[in-house]
Amino acid sequence: MPLISVTTRSGDTHELDAEPGLSIMEVIRDAGFDELLALCGGCCSCATCHVKVDPAFAEALPTMSQDEDDLLDSSSHRDPSSRLSCQLIVTEALAGLRVTIAAED
Amino acid sequence: MPRNMVAIRDFDDATYDPFASDEINFGDIRDPYPLIAEWRAAAPVLEGDYRPKMGLVSASYPDRKMFTVVGTAEILKALTDTEHFSNAGYKFNLGATFGDGSISTMDNPEHGRWRRIFQKIFLPQYVKSWGETIVDPVVRQLMDRFLDRGTADLVEEFTLLYPFEVIYRQLALPVSDVKTFQRLAIGQTDYMHWDKATEAGHKLGEYFVALIEDRRRNPGDDLVSLLANTEVEGEYLPELVLVSFLRQLMNAAGDTTYRGTSVLLTALLENPDQLDAIRRDRRLIPQAIEEALRWDGPVAVQLRMAATDVELGGVPIPAGSLLDVVAGAANRDPEVFANPDAFDIFRERRPHFSFSRGPHICVGQHLARVEMTRALHAVLDHLPNLRFDPDKPRPEIRGSMMRVPKHLHVRFDR
Repeated sequence: MPLISVTTRSGDTHELDAEPGLSIMEVIRDAGFDELLALCGGCCSCATCHVKVDPAFAEALPTMSQDEDDLLDSSSHRDPSSRLSCQLIVTEALAGLRVTIAAED
Repeated sequence: MPRNMVAIRDFDDATYDPFASDEINFGDIRDPYPLIAEWRAAAPVLEGDYRPKMGLVSASYPDRKMFTVVGTAEILKALTDTEHFSNAGYKFNLGATFGDGSISTMDNPEHGRWRRIFQKIFLPQYVKSWGETIVDPVVRQLMDRFLDRGTADLVEEFTLLYPFEVIYRQLALPVSDVKTFQRLAIGQTDYMHWDKATEAGHKLGEYFVALIEDRRRNPGDDLVSLLANTEVEGEYLPELVLVSFLRQLMNAAGDTTYRGTSVLLTALLENPDQLDAIRRDRRLIPQAIEEALRWDGPVAVQLRMAATDVELGGVPIPAGSLLDVVAGAANRDPEVFANPDAFDIFRERRPHFSFSRGPHICVGQHLARVEMTRALHAVLDHLPNLRFDPDKPRPEIRGSMMRVPKHLHVRFDR
């Protein structure tokens, strides 16, 4: 199972087993990090699962949809590394992925 | 075609008062939370529907089992586990008046297909501009009517009016239609007078169909024009979806914001130290709004239907059962919010359930926040030394389905 590394808002980094097929949001939430709110449950309907992804993995990520792009625009903390973690599905290609939970809006 | 060529028809019975039925539809209980706490202590999922437990007449649904969900984990599951819990239960009430094109009655993927169009319009980056162009002028105009007096009923004269005025301006409704429009819009949710609710839905529907036609011919910069001319894959939005959405707007954006703002102002006046803290530092406004929504959110209960046989909180739920999911129970769960019955804008920030959770999370939540923010700023700017009117009764937040104080009598320095 691929490992991913998650950095919380307080700066602690944790390695998590990421089951292929789950979203990165589900992996983080199921590991008990409730600061990732994911209020809509993972259907690209809010922007509360916002993470910053290590640019080294940009190529391995799925393309961003227009809806995700619009939702990310609602965050005042967006930067080029921003993604909604509910839209990132775990694959073997994401082994070693490093994400940081974005500041709360 | 001149705007007034679109005719709006009032109820056949002109003596019918849609505003008089709030109590029998939504209850008038002063404090439902001790009762909810008792249920939660007993079990997370109870047999039977919420309304009779609160002393109201049951809603008229087809014969099936009903449950009330009050445990936080179970509430979250019912709202987010869409494989087992469907929104189709709303077809029996919202669907019958707003129309089966209401996205509240749909499940994904159909729901998401239409929701994404509405969602985009109501994202924070877009609704922010309405704060200045629409909300501020509406608020200012309403306040100007009582500023000289030094007294006001902030519900009757302000919170009950401003979210609806915002909608009339968003839709660019002809002023002459507004009074009838509001009667029909409120009448739509008078489910205890079913004939009136469906008459209202029908008449609003024919009005909106004509309005959509008109705005396709003469588009403006209003929301009806925007939606009427939105195309998906080269086609207009289906009329049923569009008309259902417009019908629902008054209830979803008007009624809820009226209630939420009324509760916010009541809570702050009941806690003058917290109101003073906001006067000194307006950066506290966002957390005050979230706390008001948590402490006494406008919509206490949401409806879901079991899509399959499922177990929830150890209780077997047969497929097709209806579940009253009590958001107000999660908002007052002492395991989640310490000292949950206290209104405390300084409490540790945790997400509340007042905009629901899951795919149906309130599409208008960002507009609601903009409206409540602008309203509170205006109160702070224009009503110095705001306090309860000592000669009038204190406000009482009431209701078991939907919560609001009927009056908020205040004084302020002129």
